[in-house]
Amino acid sequence: MAAGLDPTLTTAALAALEAALNSALALDPAGQQQLGRLAGSTFAIECTAPKVNVYLQPAADKTRLLGYYDGPVTTRVRGAAADFAELAGASDPAAALINGNVALQGDSAPLIELQRIIGQLDLDWEAPLVTVLGDVAGHQLAEFLRSSFNAGNAVSGSLRRQLDEFIHEEARLTPPRLEVEDFYTDLQSLQQRVDRLQSRLDRLRKRMQASHT
Amino acid sequence: MSEKRSTHFGYREVDEEAKAGLVANVFHSVAARYDLMNDLMSGGIHRIWKRFTIELSAVRAGQSVLDIAGGTGDLAAKFANIVGPTGRVVLADINESMLNVGRDKLLDTGFQGNVEFVQADAQYLPFPDDSFDCVSIAFGLRNVTDKDLALRSMLRVLKPGGRLLVLEFSKPVNPLLGKAYDGYSFRVLPVMGKLVAGDSDSYQYLAESIRMHPDQETLLGMLEDAGFVNCEYHNLTGGVVALHRGFKA
Repeated sequence: MAAGLDPTLTTAALAALEAALNSALALDPAGQQQLGRLAGSTFAIECTAPKVNVYLQPAADKTRLLGYYDGPVTTRVRGAAADFAELAGASDPAAALINGNVALQGDSAPLIELQRIIGQLDLDWEAPLVTVLGDVAGHQLAEFLRSSFNAGNAVSGSLRRQLDEFIHEEARLTPPRLEVEDFYTDLQSLQQRVDRLQSRLDRLRKRMQASHT
Repeated sequence: MSEKRSTHFGYREVDEEAKAGLVANVFHSVAARYDLMNDLMSGGIHRIWKRFTIELSAVRAGQSVLDIAGGTGDLAAKFANIVGPTGRVVLADINESMLNVGRDKLLDTGFQGNVEFVQADAQYLPFPDDSFDCVSIAFGLRNVTDKDLALRSMLRVLKPGGRLLVLEFSKPVNPLLGKAYDGYSFRVLPVMGKLVAGDSDSYQYLAESIRMHPDQETLLGMLEDAGFVNCEYHNLTGGVVALHRGFKA
């Protein structure tokens, strides 16, 4: 009766993902607390390629991932996996939602808040490492991971800035963001003036036709 | 003179009145090692089947749930977490040993306040009409003597709009999987039962009772005949298990 993938597989995959997600969230109590503010919300993520539906219910103690959900949904997003990856990594989620290929239904504010919280997660690997490896080795490995992560972040940030500058200022391949926004503002204003002029012309034409008859 | 009606107990034909006692003996015997055996027999997959059951139950905070043949309380614990302090979960089982194990397990792990424990026969549920938002029975219906009577009893205690979930062993959809499953059930399970629970007969009964249980379509028809509407089923693990769902109009 039920077509498609055996629910055992999808349910097992989601159970594993949920366990991993909650283990990771346990390493950032502040982030988990922030997720608690979204308790009661249900986010439906409908992936069209590959075809998978996931329902996410955030909570302070345990965030749930469901493959099947019958109740009311706060926000529903639909798109391909690549579109969701783009949205998840966007520095400006609101702009990514508006300009991206993800279709949205319902309240967008909780979704933007969720994306912000996930983006700001700061996982503390030291506690589990110390538990497994002991104080000295655990701390040293955590320090190494932290410094590698920070160095990686700094390098990628600097690379992004330099690339941005090269594309916009040196090669002039695409215009800078501010120039584009100015251009759109001017365009919008021009469109409004053209519309007004068109209305005036229409009124004049009607008046002339009335005086001829 | 009234003629005694018979029913099946595994592959054996027994008097209807005797079946409940025979099933009770099986579960008295396996209660202490029930969870461990479930994990061993299914390789832990029974947790995934139960998780899917919880998802399809769509139970929400504040609702009331009846878990029939709830045994060691796996589903009841999950329902109790979802319905929260304003909700109500009733863990019911006909078997005193199973109910004791379930009650001890839940109380020892901190479940109290929203969970009740009731020794009850699924055929004659001791609850008023329209009492529950959801009724579940996981791996229990095949042990019930009169399944139609039990289904009608479940319909009675459900609130209008409420849903019944029947998670039960069923018929594999792939013949090859069916053969492998037969071999596993009749050769491996009784040996495993002997080694872990010290009781091979009970696990022989388990394998036989699964084969005697109605297949997916037959059980679907039974739900509809009992008065449930919008009935459907989902095959899990190739039909080794099926989850049936029906609503009270």
